Amino acid sequence: MVPVPSESAESAAHPVLADPASLARVSAAGLLSWLVPGLGHLYIGDRTRGIVCMVTIVVTFWGGVAIGGVRATVDPHERTLWFFAQLCSGSNVGAAYLLRGDAPRASKEISSAQIAAWAGPWVSADIGVHYTGVAGLLNILVILDALGRAERMSIVTRRSSRDRPKGVT
Amino acid sequence: MIATVLALFTTGMELSRFPRFLLMLPLCLSVAVIYKSTRMENMREVPTAAAILWVTIVLGMVAVGVGLWAVFSVMA
Repeated sequence: MVPVPSESAESAAHPVLADPASLARVSAAGLLSWLVPGLGHLYIGDRTRGIVCMVTIVVTFWGGVAIGGVRATVDPHERTLWFFAQLCSGSNVGAAYLLRGDAPRASKEISSAQIAAWAGPWVSADIGVHYTGVAGLLNILVILDALGRAERMSIVTRRSSRDRPKGVT
Repeated sequence: MIATVLALFTTGMELSRFPRFLLMLPLCLSVAVIYKSTRMENMREVPTAAAILWVTIVLGMVAVGVGLWAVFSVMA
């Protein structure tokens, strides 16, 4: 017969999952980190780390867009895998996609050469794609770090409130 | 004013050969800063650690580039 873990053993293994307030705090830190890089750290009170991550990722992403041009850099049809990497930088890629506008489609009136001219030079586009893709992938690191720190903070807060003697506020 | 700023991001830059390689430096710096920011507990230690990692990455990439160039030169 397989022993069923008691509620206290389960909450000791996953203390954050057992507490809805902690779970909400950790989830919010992860979501905010994805939306705006570094915002999750600011949310949990790690101000310096949050600002450093925010500035570095935003500058890397928009530096890449400036190098490659938004038309060729953020392209979900031609550079699908890179676009998934860019998506990890959250609202940055949304803003870039809005700035890009719709690409012209090849037809009798519009040649593929005209579309290539619309997108811009391919060498700088390749470099821009690397910058924006790496910015998105670096934000995965930042999201995981924010989740870990928020979880550790929740555990510490929970332990200190549990260990506090009764009657002491 | 806004249109001028937006135009900076709309079309790509024309890059010659040498600046193309120099653009590796800021990207490596971003990787080093973010990696060390997530690994170090004390943020005061990040600038030094990130600078050391940045130099290591750049020197490593230069070494790999020189090695590959030497291999291709011998094979050619």
